[in-house]
Amino acid sequence: MNAPPGGGRVAVRLQGVCKVYPGGVQALTDVSLEVREGEFLVVLGLSGSGKSTLLRCINRLVDPTLGRVWIFDDEMTAAEGARLRQLRRQVAMIFQQFNLVKRHSVLTNVLSGSLGRSPLLPSLFLRYPAVEREQALAALARMGLRDRGASRADALSGGQQQRVAVARALVQRPRVILADEPVASLDPALRHSLMRQIEQLSKEEGLTVICSLHDIDLVKRYATRLAALRDGHIVYEGPPGDFDRGTFREIYGTDAEPASNTLV
Amino acid sequence: MAGETGTATTVSHLEKSVARLKALAVDALLLTTAGLMAELLIVAFSGRRGPTGLLLTAEEALDLLHYGWMAAACVVLAFTWNLFSRWIGSSPGRALVRGVPEWEADLPWSRTLRGWFAVLFIELTFFAGWLITEVDLPAFLTKFSKASDIVRGLVHPSMSILHQGVVLLVQTVFLAFMATAFAIPIAFALSFLAARNLTRGSVLARGLYTVVRAGMNFTRAVEPLVWALIFISWVGIGPFAGVLALWIHSVAALTKLYSEQIESIDLGPVEAITATGAGPLQVLRYGVVPQVMPPFLSFTIYRWDINVRMSTIIGFVGGGGIGYILKPRVDLGEWGEVGTLVLLIAITVWLMDIVSAKIRERIV
Ligand SMILES: Nc1ncnc2c1ncn2[C@@H]1O[C@H](COP(=O)(O)OP(=O)(O)OP(=O)(O)O)[C@@H](O)[C@H]1O
Ligand SMILES: [Mg+2]
Repeated sequence: MNAPPGGGRVAVRLQGVCKVYPGGVQALTDVSLEVREGEFLVVLGLSGSGKSTLLRCINRLVDPTLGRVWIFDDEMTAAEGARLRQLRRQVAMIFQQFNLVKRHSVLTNVLSGSLGRSPLLPSLFLRYPAVEREQALAALARMGLRDRGASRADALSGGQQQRVAVARALVQRPRVILADEPVASLDPALRHSLMRQIEQLSKEEGLTVICSLHDIDLVKRYATRLAALRDGHIVYEGPPGDFDRGTFREIYGTDAEPASNTLV
Repeated sequence: MAGETGTATTVSHLEKSVARLKALAVDALLLTTAGLMAELLIVAFSGRRGPTGLLLTAEEALDLLHYGWMAAACVVLAFTWNLFSRWIGSSPGRALVRGVPEWEADLPWSRTLRGWFAVLFIELTFFAGWLITEVDLPAFLTKFSKASDIVRGLVHPSMSILHQGVVLLVQTVFLAFMATAFAIPIAFALSFLAARNLTRGSVLARGLYTVVRAGMNFTRAVEPLVWALIFISWVGIGPFAGVLALWIHSVAALTKLYSEQIESIDLGPVEAITATGAGPLQVLRYGVVPQVMPPFLSFTIYRWDINVRMSTIIGFVGGGGIGYILKPRVDLGEWGEVGTLVLLIAITVWLMDIVSAKIRERIV
């Protein structure tokens, strides 16, 4: 395995993870992976290769059929109930479809990032401690949405909604961010700005990022390391610099051509 | 991993056999029904006479059918059809349970045995139904004069009962309202347990799902009229018995509607909230409730509307409301007063309909 830049602690570790969905689809086969603190790992692969499944196995939105997952020193796959929820708080997730609560205000959406540590009863009435509100407002301001707190979430544009989702992730105070094709539903022009914001956050807060992407331009620009999936197997792992036309073919099949010549 | 795939194939083997059995059962049922209907028609038109000396009535003809023999024969027939389906085409049961193989999919109905069977089945149902329900077109077309008294009364409403009618109408509307209001919290709580997509998690949740579903289906299957009789002997004659009867029926109906709504939500927000480390109640409050609130409101208002209509009938047996004074008027043949009451009910139902449609339009 290539020593990642910085060489910090292992933030996320997968060991022999397999996932078979009910109905028999084998989405992941024996996936082992180590991501060190502060790394920006990009997961590549064709549609259906298992990227979303891999990310969801890490925070147990999907339960691996076999294998083990650690977040720092805690084993995700051994935790249940309250303990699992406590571990999940360390891992924020950003989705392709934003997954905001559409009928809630932007501020409430951002505040929901703190649900894991907020008192239960007030949170059921959408009430939060004053500290949390301040933090949420600060996170919104940081994402350039200072004035939009009172709008309904579905009144925002796609790019703005995704920034709300990033603010929600930020309020969670995670140590790891999972991003499942975070820019795939955005305008190409907005993709770089959102990726830059995620990258900047991860640098300032020392966060580890695992992000699945399709766009080769973005991969080259943001990844500190690559992992490529094909039919649920990891077929490539290494720094983005070593990634060439041959490896590309290996992942995407022999018929595929890189969409852009920046790759080679 | 080999073990995994092994179990997967055994499961699909088992599933296949179960599907085969299901198809066979459906076939046997269809063929038996068709056979019995054919026999009924044959018996009815064979010119045999019943004990009264008249031609057989439908009931007497039904008595004479060979249920057991027919069923046994048709199980054999269904089995044969499924056995030879490669040559004579899939049986209806197989088509329903497992779908037809490719080579059959594009054939027009007239080229398949199954198609002809379906046509025959529909014809048999129609003619058997005609006999069993004793359709009597001549009476319908020539004997209107006997009912003209009633119709005359209905279009000449009597004013004497107007005041009492309006008072009880108000009671009817409130009765329906209270039944709906009491039903909301219970149906709301139960609907989460009755939603399949929220109860996959654990064995306990799946057990609760099955229990709630079965209980609600049973409750809904019992007519509100029967519930009314039960509650009348429980709390006594009067509007409260009506409230309870409509309440229990509404709980079952709303639970079903609510839970179906929950089953069709976007699971994205649920995943997002779960990923923050939120607890199960918080996931429901943030991931599910906001998505289902508008349709829930709309269903609830619609239910109130239905309850107003049903409470009339409930009143017939003593459950309060306007039906309570309607029943004796009908029995005594005071058609003018019946006319007044029917008119009052019609106006209310019409108004409720408009109001509920307007509100629902706004919400969705
Ligand atoms: N809930 C599920 N039930 C059954 N099969 C599933 C489920 N989710 C995913 N799969 C299957 O698992 C495989 C991997 O899916 P996954 O969503 O992880 O792929 P992906 O790489 O994220 O694809 P995409 O780029 O289209 O998002 C696919 O074959 C998919 O059909
Ligand atoms: Mg995906």
